[in-house]
Amino acid sequence: MKRILPDLQKMQNEGVENIPVEERRHFLKMGLTLTGVFASGTLFSMVSSARTAFASDPGFFEKYPYKPHYSMMVHLDRCIDCERCKKACAATNDVPSYGYRTNILEREFPEAIGVKTEFIPVLCNHCNLPQCTRVCPTKATYKNPENGIVMMNTTKCIGCLSCQMACPYNARYFHEEKMAVDKCSFCWESRLSKGEKLTACAEACPAGVRIFGDLSDPKDRVYKEVHQIEKTVWVLRPEAGTKPNVFYTRG
Amino acid sequence: MKKSASICVGILLAVSLSLIGQGYGEDHGGDIHYNAPVVGVLFSHAVHVEENGLDCESCHDGLFEYEALAAQRQPDFNMQALYEGKFCGACHDGDMAFASDTRCTLCHEGVQGYNRALGLQTADAHH
Repeated sequence: MKRILPDLQKMQNEGVENIPVEERRHFLKMGLTLTGVFASGTLFSMVSSARTAFASDPGFFEKYPYKPHYSMMVHLDRCIDCERCKKACAATNDVPSYGYRTNILEREFPEAIGVKTEFIPVLCNHCNLPQCTRVCPTKATYKNPENGIVMMNTTKCIGCLSCQMACPYNARYFHEEKMAVDKCSFCWESRLSKGEKLTACAEACPAGVRIFGDLSDPKDRVYKEVHQIEKTVWVLRPEAGTKPNVFYTRG
Repeated sequence: MKKSASICVGILLAVSLSLIGQGYGEDHGGDIHYNAPVVGVLFSHAVHVEENGLDCESCHDGLFEYEALAAQRQPDFNMQALYEGKFCGACHDGDMAFASDTRCTLCHEGVQGYNRALGLQTADAHH
């Protein structure tokens, strides 16, 4: 930084009049994203209509690409970082201590009145347009055409970690014993394929933070919570454009 | 005679020093970090005694024992019991103090907060 600073100071201010419209648009989008009200591309994304909360194009809203369309709604303000989800996940899916399939992030608001800490559960967002599967040179990671789960074929993985670089959600780690990248699969191998209805993390949560369900089923709680306008619903890093299937809300 | 008196003074001094060393100097029990039934719940004596002016008997009259973490040995030390007015819920009912089913992370410091407070290692996932 010390070496760069003098060079930066010597540079002339370019002003804002020469910034292309495209660039301005990106900047404005970034602002809306940061304030957490931006999910799609219209002014109406100030509130979470079905279309915008889904963070997807109208086509996805009309017809869900998968059946069931697995999805998770995270009730942020209920998370207390007890990490029973992490424990249950590790026990269910053979996750070593140096890795995680789901994690809890901590965010502090020292100036806030009352509650000053927020815990943010994160996991693979099983995006509709995943970047990880796109960059994989061996198709070791792929999107399951039936249920939309982003999966790993460990025998094909060459450990190049391109997927790790591509993932906007930091949801992948290298499993040294498997000699392959490992990630959340919504417990497909360990539970869902065996007839269980919930992921291990959702079942273990004592506070009802993680609501797991089928986004294409109007009777499902996740469907109902995403397709309403009373409470704001958002996704993490919408600017990545990957159409994630993990949603967040408070209250 | 002189010798025994000085020994007495010495013992008294040692006892009082050890008492201060154990935290009796701050007139309350400091921070209590519960780890059951969920890990990472902080009770701050400083907040309750120094900031809110409660005295020992406010809670230690049958609600909580003086011994730290004794409450979490009770089988019903959970949120449901709090809603029924037991333990913290005796005051945290939304009337005397904020209700037990609000402001979760004010008390729940979580695994991360617990590990920080006790100087424990948090498993780092990123190499």
